[in-house]
Amino acid sequence: MGAAEVGGGIRFALDGASKRYGDVVALQPIELAFEAGSTTALIGSSGSGKSTVLRLLLGLERSDSGCVRVDGRALQPADILALRRRVGYVIQDGGLFPHLTAMGNLGLLPQHLGWAPQRIRERAQALAQLTRLPSDALARYPAELSGGQRQRVALMRALMVDPDALLLDEPLGALDPIVRHELQEQLQRIFGELGKTVIVVTHDLAEAAWFAPRLVLLRRGAVVQDGSYADLRDRPADDFARQFVQAQRTLPATP
Amino acid sequence: MTGMPARIAIVLLAGLLPVLAIAQPVRIGSKQFTESVILGEIARLAARDAGVQAVHQRELGGTRILWKALQQGDIDAYPEYTGTLNHELLQDVPADADIATLRARLEPLGIGITDPLGFDNTYAIGMRQDEAARLDIRRISDLRAHPSLRLGFSNEFMDRGDGWPGLRRAYALPQTKVSGLDHVLSYRAVASGAVDAIDLYSTDAEIPYYHLRVLRDDRHYFPRYQAVFLYRLTLQRDQPAFVAALRQLAGRIDEPAMRAMNAAVKLDRRRDSAVAADFLGTQVDAGWRGPWQRLRQRSVEHVELVAVSLGLALLLAIPLGIVAARRRRLGQLVIAATGVLQTVPSLAMFVFMIPLLGIGTWPAVAALFLYSLLPIVRNTHAGLAGIAPELIESAAALGLPPRVRLRRIELPLAMRPILAGIKTAAVINVGTATLAALIGAGGYGQPILTGIRLDSMALILEGAIPAAVLALLVQGVFELVERWLTPRGLRLQPRQ
Repeated sequence: MGAAEVGGGIRFALDGASKRYGDVVALQPIELAFEAGSTTALIGSSGSGKSTVLRLLLGLERSDSGCVRVDGRALQPADILALRRRVGYVIQDGGLFPHLTAMGNLGLLPQHLGWAPQRIRERAQALAQLTRLPSDALARYPAELSGGQRQRVALMRALMVDPDALLLDEPLGALDPIVRHELQEQLQRIFGELGKTVIVVTHDLAEAAWFAPRLVLLRRGAVVQDGSYADLRDRPADDFARQFVQAQRTLPATP
Repeated sequence: MTGMPARIAIVLLAGLLPVLAIAQPVRIGSKQFTESVILGEIARLAARDAGVQAVHQRELGGTRILWKALQQGDIDAYPEYTGTLNHELLQDVPADADIATLRARLEPLGIGITDPLGFDNTYAIGMRQDEAARLDIRRISDLRAHPSLRLGFSNEFMDRGDGWPGLRRAYALPQTKVSGLDHVLSYRAVASGAVDAIDLYSTDAEIPYYHLRVLRDDRHYFPRYQAVFLYRLTLQRDQPAFVAALRQLAGRIDEPAMRAMNAAVKLDRRRDSAVAADFLGTQVDAGWRGPWQRLRQRSVEHVELVAVSLGLALLLAIPLGIVAARRRRLGQLVIAATGVLQTVPSLAMFVFMIPLLGIGTWPAVAALFLYSLLPIVRNTHAGLAGIAPELIESAAALGLPPRVRLRRIELPLAMRPILAGIKTAAVINVGTATLAALIGAGGYGQPILTGIRLDSMALILEGAIPAAVLALLVQGVFELVERWLTPRGLRLQPRQ
């Protein structure tokens, strides 16, 4: 990865954005900004609204009130396609298309953008090195890959056209502990190297702390606390924040 | 995988390729019974001998179909009976109208009529000779004294004004046990004693064969049914030699001659063209087709019906299925509408098509097309709606426009159910297309129709067996197409 890819990033902001599904409030009107080039972890229990934040930012959902701002401009429906090409998105099971090989999955967007096959292959090889995917795995179908390999391919697919931001929704949620640990290491390194705006959704506090200097704790569609891991651990904003910290059995048993 | 759209295009084109080449010889129609078919053959051979190229579209569904087809110009001529014109086809014509009156009435419709061919094929009532002798029944009015007699009438006779309802009134007949029968079966019913009296046509070959007594119409109730040819008046300009040949047949066929020809075909199992050729003192066509040639031609006709209708259905049904998957309300409406089409009985569907498209291949294709829609629309909808939501969302999040998502991701993922729907439609079409012979589209239904008319199991099987084989073949071909078009990644079991 060349130095040219470092820096940049997108500044995202939720400006009073809210979302409800029928009677269920997924997100209350919320003010939240993600600075360009920063890494943020969204944490909280399931149903807290953390995935909804990502979906609003990508234009997969429209906010019921307020707006989503991208580099200061309110997101318009006409801009959504262009925005998505600047943002890589990875979900829990990878979301790989089973009818295409790993290489086919990687090539979807670049092909549409008119990249030459040679350029697509070279980019894929480079990303395979970055994510430490064995290069023979590129010819396999998702069903022929291990869980860890699938997540690596999904990350590569998100990075193919060198986006300005990466949104990851429980990217390691379905992996066994050893693979998960290994990928955590690699993701942290990759986030540091690329200098993109990164937002990771996870319910695992240790993982969040490992990835991001800034943690945003959500509960019932509202921000409970926004700060560093130390803030959260030492100065929890309320009882829920304290419970959330204490409930993490996987936390290191440091005194 | 980039070859996928090309592969789909190949499969679609292969379905559409056999496009019909339409020549325009004189087209002669005939009804679904032997006498009409023989007269149709006589007209065709007479035309041929007069140097006019003619084809015979035999065994079309019924009087109404032929009458409409003649008016619309789908056929050019067919044998008809004056009684049918008086009572059924023309309004406000005196019951005893002569040929001159009929000619004047038909002219504004663009239809010409020959002079009577020479025989009368009117309705009559017949009983077994021994039974009639035992009860001393000679005239229809003698039936009044035997109210317990069981009557079996052809369905057409039961319904039409000049049939049973009028007969009952005219003779004040008291019988209450009256059942509807197929005309072909009614002879056996009366011979076996299942019914006591049936309606007949006076030229039926079976009258002497089953030893039946024709009861005298002592009140002259039944109108005269003189055989004539109807033809389109435009032929006088376009094919004068054909009209002349038809007119020369007038007065040449008397009742014994017609009854003998009917018997030769129905009872002696001679071919109708041979019987017609003997009558004209001419030769049957040199190029008489053997069983394999017949099979080949019917196969071409049948496959053409199925392939063209299926190909057209694909062009509409897959987009409809896509729309249905995109918009729920509209989707339910579309699926309900195609479902309603499916409930229309096949024969009714074919007959509905006649006013719109005439007779022959195209109305049959249209009917089969409509039947093909439901399985394809429903499976396309189900296939697309069944894609895991996270895959739909991943595709959207990639930043691909909807059309590219549909082509590269959603349709390939839904390929298996879509192909299964197409297969279902194709197999159903192979079966339903056998009814297309009723509106002159040929195919495997033709020998089945003839077989039913002549009571010949061999002929029925000549149509039914190839139809079954074709259905199996279509099934097999689709299994292969399915294997070829289903992406390999979808056939793998996921690894844990």
